[in-house]
This record gives sequence, C-alpha cells and structure tokens, in this order.
Amino acid sequence: MPEPVVVGRDVWKVYGSGETAVPALRGIDVEIFRGEILAVMGPSGCGKTTFLNCFSGLDDISKGVVTVEGTDIHKMPDARKSEYRARRTGFVFQSYNLLPILSAEENVEMPLLIAGRSAREAREAAKAILTQMGLGDRLRHRPSELSGGQQQRVSLARALVAHPAIVWADEPTGNLDAEGSKQVTELLRQLNHEFHQTMVVVTHDAEVASACDRTLHMRDGRFLTE
Amino acid sequence: MATLSTVGLLLLLLAVVGLATALLGLRHRLSFRIAMRNVRRGRARTVLLIAGLLVGTTIVAGSLIVGDTVQQLSFHYTYIGAGYVDESVTGTSPTGGLSYFPYAAYTQTAALVAGDPDIAGVTPEIVDSGAIYDRATGIPATALNLIGVNANQSSALGPFLADNGTPLEGPSGSGVFLDDQAAQTVNATVGDPLLVFGQVGIPLHVEAIVQENVRGGFITGGLTPGNVFVSLATAQLLENASGRINYLAVTNSGSNAHGAAISTRVSASLNVTLASVLATYGLSVATPLETGLEQSAQSSQSTMTVFLVLGLFSIVAGALLIVGIFVMLAEERKGEMGMLRAIGMRRRELVYTYYFEGVAYAAGSALAGTGLGVGVGYLLVYLAGSVLKGEGIPEAAILQSFTVTGQSLLLAYVIGFLLTVATVVFACTRVSRLNIVRAIRDVPEPRPAVRTYTVLAYLGGALVVLGLLAFRATYSGASDISYPILSGALVVLGAGLVAARFLRNRPVFTAVGIGLTVWAGWVPLHALLLGSAHTGGIFIVFVEGILMVGGTLMVFLFNAPLLATLLRRVLGRRGQSSPVIRVGLDYPTRQPTRSAVSLTIFALVVFTMVATAAFGSTIQGNLDNVVANEAGGYTYFGASQTPIPDLWGSIESNATLAPEFVNAAELVVGAGEVTVPGYDANPYSDRLLAAPVNTTGPADFYTTNRFTFASTLGDLSAAAVFEELSTNATVAIVDNTYAPPTASIVGGSTGPHPHLVVGTTISVAPVSGGRAVNVTVIGILKEAALTGVWLNPATAAGLGFTTVGAYLITAAPGVSTTLASQNLLKAYFAFGLVLFNIKALLATSFNTTEGFIGLLEIFVGLGLAVGIAAMGILALRAVVERRRQIGMLRAAGFTQAMVVRAYLLEYSVVTLLGVAIGVVLGVLIVYNLTVSASAAAEGITTFVGPWTTIAEIAVVAYVLVLAAIAVPSVRAARLPPAEAVRSAE
Repeated sequence: MPEPVVVGRDVWKVYGSGETAVPALRGIDVEIFRGEILAVMGPSGCGKTTFLNCFSGLDDISKGVVTVEGTDIHKMPDARKSEYRARRTGFVFQSYNLLPILSAEENVEMPLLIAGRSAREAREAAKAILTQMGLGDRLRHRPSELSGGQQQRVSLARALVAHPAIVWADEPTGNLDAEGSKQVTELLRQLNHEFHQTMVVVTHDAEVASACDRTLHMRDGRFLTE
Repeated sequence: MATLSTVGLLLLLLAVVGLATALLGLRHRLSFRIAMRNVRRGRARTVLLIAGLLVGTTIVAGSLIVGDTVQQLSFHYTYIGAGYVDESVTGTSPTGGLSYFPYAAYTQTAALVAGDPDIAGVTPEIVDSGAIYDRATGIPATALNLIGVNANQSSALGPFLADNGTPLEGPSGSGVFLDDQAAQTVNATVGDPLLVFGQVGIPLHVEAIVQENVRGGFITGGLTPGNVFVSLATAQLLENASGRINYLAVTNSGSNAHGAAISTRVSASLNVTLASVLATYGLSVATPLETGLEQSAQSSQSTMTVFLVLGLFSIVAGALLIVGIFVMLAEERKGEMGMLRAIGMRRRELVYTYYFEGVAYAAGSALAGTGLGVGVGYLLVYLAGSVLKGEGIPEAAILQSFTVTGQSLLLAYVIGFLLTVATVVFACTRVSRLNIVRAIRDVPEPRPAVRTYTVLAYLGGALVVLGLLAFRATYSGASDISYPILSGALVVLGAGLVAARFLRNRPVFTAVGIGLTVWAGWVPLHALLLGSAHTGGIFIVFVEGILMVGGTLMVFLFNAPLLATLLRRVLGRRGQSSPVIRVGLDYPTRQPTRSAVSLTIFALVVFTMVATAAFGSTIQGNLDNVVANEAGGYTYFGASQTPIPDLWGSIESNATLAPEFVNAAELVVGAGEVTVPGYDANPYSDRLLAAPVNTTGPADFYTTNRFTFASTLGDLSAAAVFEELSTNATVAIVDNTYAPPTASIVGGSTGPHPHLVVGTTISVAPVSGGRAVNVTVIGILKEAALTGVWLNPATAAGLGFTTVGAYLITAAPGVSTTLASQNLLKAYFAFGLVLFNIKALLATSFNTTEGFIGLLEIFVGLGLAVGIAAMGILALRAVVERRRQIGMLRAAGFTQAMVVRAYLLEYSVVTLLGVAIGVVLGVLIVYNLTVSASAAAEGITTFVGPWTTIAEIAVVAYVLVLAAIAVPSVRAARLPPAEAVRSAE
C-alpha cells in the first residue's frame, strides 16, 4: 500500500461571507500518494485551482484539515509555511510566472537560493536541469526571449530543481500548442520517473490526464469519481 | 510680478489648449467618455495622481508669492523711506552732500506751484547728518539723520505718530523727536536732556519718541541708525545755516501710490515751472519715491528669479514624476488598450483618450498645486520673519507684507497646467507606439530597429551642426556662459546619437554621459576653451546642474548591470539574503529606465539641497578672507565732520585709547565724476580717495593697509602698486565694482556701472566742476565695500581735495571692538566722528545672506517632497504591476519579511545612489564657484563643506523614503500568493 503524502479531510473553502458566500470546496476528502502523478480535471469554475491552492498551502482553507507528510500545513505560521514551500514543494503555473528581469538560469536558481544553498551550487544545479530539459543553449536568455514552450520548461525546471517532495502544476499546458503540450507532459512523466516526486496536475487536457497515474474529476467543489 | 504681456501670452496659450481640447473632445466623444470613466475609476488613484502632478505648480506658485511678498516688503520700506516726498528739489555740495541754498528758493517754489492740482504741498527742510548724546543715559550716537522741519509747514507730509498712536505735528524749538531706532540706540525716554550735534552742539530735550511710520521713518526707512527731528530753525542753528535750507520736499496729491504714479509727469512739469529757481540756485528735481519703487521691484524680481531658478530643479523632478506616473499607467492598462485597438479603436483615438485623461488631471492638479503654493509661500514668509528679525527687519513687517496677487495665482495655475499638459503629451507619444499583439500578450517592446537609429543619427547630425554654430557664435566675448556650455552639450549629445548608429549603445552613451558631466562640471576646461570674459547668473547653476545630473544618470542607465554585479559582490552571495539581494538589486539595475526616473528625481533634489547648503557654508567659512579683502585689514572706517588733527598721535597719547588700537590712517575724501572709456553713461559719480604721504608708522596708510588686488598692471605686487600710487600722480587704483563682471553668481556689481581693465586711462574731476585729470588705473582692488577711485594725494589736491575727513583704524587684537569704538567715539565726539565696524557690517550682511540661503534651503527642500512622493507612488504602482511575480516568489518560498527586504533594498539602492550623485555633484558645483576668478576676488577661495548638513540631508531623505515605501512594501508582502499568481490586478 503506497504511503499517502497529502491527506485532506472535510476541506471547505468559502469565498465571501453571508449572502454572497460562495463555497468553492465543499468538504473534500482526498489522499495523494507518494510518487504518483495525480490529474485533477473538471469544468471551469468547479474548484480545481482552489483545490491546488488550498492543498499546497498557497491559500487558507475555511474548514477541515490538510496534512502534508503528516503536518497540518494550515496550522503553520507564515514563515514556516514559506520555508515548507521552499524546501518541499514546487509550482508550475499556466502563465509560467517567470521573473522577467532574470535569465532562465537565474529563475531556476531562485528556489535553491531561497532554500539557503550557495550561489555556486544553485548555478550548477540550474544549469544541469535546464540542459536536461533541452535548454542548455538558452541559459542566459530572459523570459521575453523564449517561446511559450521554452518558458514552461524553465518553469518546470524551477519547480523541480530543489527536488521537492510534491510538485503542484496548475494547467501547465494551458498556454501551449499541441506539440508544446506533448513535450511538457512527457517531461513531467520522465522527471517523475527519474526523481520519484509526487505530482498534482490540474488540467483541462484529457491527453495530459491520460498520461497521469490517476485522475480525479471535480464538479461544484467536490470530487466525483476516481 | 510678470508683465501683462507674459500673462496675456500664457492666457492665450491656455485658451488655445482649452479650445483645442474641447474641439477634440466633441469630435472624439468615445475617447472622451472613456477618459472621463478612467478618471472616475478609482478615487484613491485619482488623488494619488493629482498629488504627484501638483508639485510643479506648487513650486511655481510658491516662488511667485515669495516674489510678491518681497516686493510688498520692499515697497513698504520704500514708502517709509520716502514718506510723502514724491519729488525732491536739491543741489549737490563739492563733498557730495546736499548743498545749502537760501530759504527764498522755497518761497519762490511755493508760489510757482500754487494751484497745481497734482501737487499737495512743498515743504522746506534741512536734511543732514548729526549726532546726539543722551545726558541721562550717558550714551552717544552718531551718523544719525538730522531733519529740520517746521510743524506748521509740513502738513503735506502727514503727522508723526507717538508710540501710543497719538498724532503729533512736529517738534518745538527746544525739543527733539527721536524715532524708535534712534531712541533705542541711546536708550532715551521722553524728557531726557540731549546734546544734539550738527556743525555745532545745542542742548535740547526729548519731546517725543515717534513710530517709524511714513513720517517717522522719513528718508531712511529705518535702515540707518535712526532719525532726529528738530524744528527748521533749530536745524539751521545746528548746521550754521541761518536763513538757508538744503531740501525742498514736494508732495503729490492723492495717495502714496497715486503720488508715485504721477511722479514722472510732475517732475517734468516742475523742471519747466521751476526752471528759473533751479538755474538760480543750482538745483535739480529728483523722484525718490518712484525711483525707490522701481529699485524695489527690480530687487524683488531678482529674489523671485533665484527662487524660480532653484525651483526649476524641483519642477523638472515633478515633470519626471508625471512622466513616470503616466508611463506606469500606460503599462498597467496595456492589455485593455490593446483590446481597444483590437476591436477597432484607432491609434489616434487611443492617444486622445490618454490625452483627455491627462488634461483632466492637469486641470485638477494645477488648481490644487496653486492652493498648496499659497501655503508654501506663507510658510516661507513666516520662516523669513523668524530668520530676518535679527537683521533689523521686524517680523511683523514681514508677515504683514505677505501678499498673494491674483496675477501670480493665475500665472502659477496657467504655468502648472501647461507644464502638466506638455508632459502628458510627451507621455502620450510613448503610448502611441503601442503594438496591439504585444499589448494584449504583455510582451515587452523589442529593441529599436536600425531605422530608428538612422533617424536618430540624422537628428544627432543636426544637433551637432546646431551646437557647433551656436558654440561658434557664443564661445568668445562676454555673453552668458550658459550659451556656450549648452551649445557644447548639444554637440556631445548629437555626436553620441550619430555614433550609436554604428557602435553599441553602452560604450557610446557611457562616453556621452561622462562627456556631458565633465563638460558641465570641469571649470578649467571652461577657462581653457571659453576664456574668462563671459558673464553668468544663477541660471548657470541650473544649466550645469541639469547637464551633470543628466550625464551621470546616462552613465548609470547604460552600466546598471555592472553596478549590480559590483553591489552583489559587496553585499555577499551566501545565505538566505542571496535571493533577496538578487531580486532587490536586479529590479533597479536590469530595468534601469524606470529606476532612472526615480534616481533622476532624487539626484536633482539632493543636488539642489546640497549645492544650496554648500554655498551658504562656503560663504560663511570665508568671512575672514572676505573681511581682509574688503576692509584691508582695518576694523573701522571712520568719518568726521571736522578734521581730527593727527589722529594716531592723539590716540597714542590717550591712556585709554592707546592699548585699544594699533593704527589709524587718514584719508582725504571728495565727491568726483569719473569718465571711463566705453561707458555709455559717463561721467559716473563716485568717491575720490587719497591717503596723505607725509605720515609714518601706524598712521601711514601705504604700509598699514592689507588690501589685495584682483588684478594689477604688469602683475605688480600689492606693495609695489601702493608704492607707485604714493609717488606717481598719473596713476590710480579702483575698487572691485569696476572689475568686468565674470561668469559666477558670486561677486560682480549689479546695476549700471563702468567696467575697465588695468592699464585703462580714466578721467577724474570734482563733482563741483573744474579741471579734469587723466590717470591710468594700475590696480583693481578685490574690495568692493569702500567704493571709489584712489588717487595720489597730489592729484587729489590738484582737484581741490586736501582736507582729511576719513580714517581707517584697526583695533588691537583681543579687545572688544564695541567697547573700543565707544571709547573712540566719546573721545572725538566733538569732531562729529562716525565709525563703521566694517567686519560687523560684513558679518551682518553675511548673516542676512545666510538667512536668505537658509530660506532657499527650505524652499529647495520642498523638492524632497517630490522625491519622496515619487518613491511612494512608483513603489505603490510597482506592487500592482508585479503582483504575479510577488506571488511566484511567495510560492517559491519567499517569506513576507523577504518580500519587504527585497523592496527596501531596491528602493535603498535607488535612493542612496540618488543621494550620492546629488551630494557629489552639489559639492562639485560649489567647489567650482570657489575656484572661479570672481569668487577669489570676493575673498571666497576655500570650499567649506557643510558636512553635517549633508549627512542630515542624506539621513532624512533615506528615512523618509523608507517611510514612504513602508506601506507599499508591506502591501506587497501581504498579497495572498494564491490570488497574486493568477491575476495581474
């Protein structure tokens, strides 16, 4: 039996209050296992991104418990939560969210520097992972000088470079064409195989979902089937 | 303050802009509607924008109001000084004073002007200098104005006012009216027995102490030691002038202002009506009130100009802030503007949308800025009251003079509005280059195409040609030095634009930046290429300041990454601070264009503050040098009504005085007319001075004086020049007001004055007429306090000047100069000795200058508000703009504290760099002044850095910036990461 890394019990997230309250998550119970790639699918507005934000610690929850590696992340103070994110998680966003003022290499170095690694170590690790992702000749390029697919690969490299326990990916192929989408999906699989990291991928794309180990479908803030 | 034509022109411009905007609004209604919606979009944002935009208007309004107030204050003292005397009818004595003429001149005049509706009355007077000795307090006072006038003949001059406000007609035959100032000097109270001295002494008593209103402040405006009023008969006794007077005061009808307004007409009419009287008694008609008012207007105009020119730095900083705000607005709205373009809005309409919004902000901010400017003006006037009250100008008089004219308010509004609109139009040109796809996708603008560089190269070529032509026309001669410096800067900039077409930007514009800074800031280069004949005023400070700051900023812009690398090495690369340092340093250095706006604003503001403070400290620090130059090493300049025989011998034999003084040189003084070749208003009236040669030791001027020279013929030493003057009757030396004006704001004479160089032959003659003598100027003194032409005593004797009437005296080291002067005055009271403590007078003048500089410091300190506002506003907008990036950093593990630290580091880099640039360049520009020839002529030879003030400026500026960006930083840190990573706003 695989070990659950993330466990959510009766997790609610309500936006607003009173008459204008909108429940985005409605008592979710879920377990995510170490080393698996989990896809979360569902129509727009069903709560996929809210799920990712709440379970990754980016956003607070209204009710319930989310434990990651046995620790209730919502009971952590902000500084510890930041440290946890720096050391144990990686994020990939639909719009890449790279720092425009930094080169590809410097963007990838950032999580390592935040985690307290030396500049040299960070530089070597960033160079290695970017080369592995086929961007060895784009190290010094700024995000504005890269294509969408290349930017997403940099974003992926940034998420994985510190070898986090869990990678959270929000529509990682949402801005990419079919070819770019395929490349990123294959890369996710390959890296998962290589580093044995848990990956949670929120996606609309059935092909991306099909490449994952398990898929959860969401509707109106709840998971339907497994 | 401004002429009607200026106001008219500005109003016309305002009308044109208003009309054009209205027409455009009607024609492009959709653009107009969107613009107005944008204005109403967020109240907080609109308030923030208007706050940022109103700075320029505030500075302009503040400067104009200071000008209005200074003029009002100046008018106030001019009215007091002239009283109700609109025209005077006087003659000149051979010694330069007023000549006495028979009382019959008055009766004839009164008869001739009787019935003239423009003239309210003519008053016969004696106006001379006198002294008093209060026998009750035992205190003497000399150099007072002695005014003799009959109460029953002077109704046109208005009543005196006693201290309790009671109107008084005038003194009786045995009494004296003292004005407040004279009474204070001798500590007099009503009833005190007085000895009053003119040519002779008479015992009288204090009948009243009167206020310094237009009557009580008669002639002097309260700016000399005071007035003593006696009856005309008493004055005639005191001056040995029985049956004679020396002053006819003509009072025009109507108010004081009306009297001044018709003075030209009345004086012309008097010259005709009184022709026979004037010819018979050798008299002439003058217009003291009108002339005084004109001089007041001119001097307040100069004050306002200084404030405006120094305010220009803040105005430029304000304009940059406007550009920064609008460019940020454009960045922020790029997506929606791209969408508007995508659905069919034309580029022009998009620009109009932006323009209409800008005009709405401009109208609001100019109004708010004008209002705030009134407050700033009052603050300055209030502070001036505190600063100047110790310099003889009552605080109440200053505060009562606070004036805001409608014309100034209108001018400030129009200038502020047009300035903002002009800046908005400039910002719109950036928006007009928007590319739809790039805007919607938020893709950065690409580098300029080669074609752009080609166009810029042509522009550069044109600038080079224009600069060279202008330089050729202005580099030699006596034109304002700003012109050749600006011309040279055009050449450097143009050459850079041409070179950028073929070479990489970084080396080209680094060289241009260095070139501009060196060109504007390296004085020896100016001396080498431009010579020393150029003139210059306060405007040169603005020109050099802008060029130096601009050049330095250019170097920063093109070398910012290098700076980042350097700073990273200094600040360290290890530990948790590493990512903070990277983010904090990379924003200002890798997107330097925007940081450059904040940096320029800050550098300009600090530059102005430091330069003003350094100017003040340098002037104060050179006081001893200036005194040595101006006073020739002497402590007192004295004058006596009757010659004191062998003054030094007499001092030496007096047990009290002997230890208090080390020398006393005698001078012969006369009133002369000087004709200088090339001067268009010859002859120039000036004092003629000569020192007797038959004296020795401490009485010998030629060996005791320490006067120094700005230039001498054949580079003779000072001792050689004085030796030549003592032996050669064909030579002369002149004071520094004759030196040609030079390109410095220090020194040089103001107003019409002949100028010459050593070797010039001038002609001197007694003012009373007689033979003129040609003499060659062999030296121009550095001093400009004891003005006049120094002659060989034989030459002076040939012109009729043989009587000793003046003295240069030095107090012994360590003695109280006040006590020593009192003892000297007591000892020679009978001779009517008057003493001026030259050092004290210079120190007072310096204190006033220092007070003025202190005010300027406060005024330019207002620019700091612009810098702080700039940082706060830009930081606030940066939070909005970088929302996603902050979200990503938080997702990647940045703590809230790290976000705050990164922000603080980013703005610290910009602020401290701006402070450093401002301090270095501010110090440099004042240092440049101290090495200029004209400053040296004034004795200002040593740069004295206001290091404490500079440290205070740096600390205050930095702390205020930290305070201003605290809110944006915390706001950035508190952004919920989940929301931040998803949306731009």
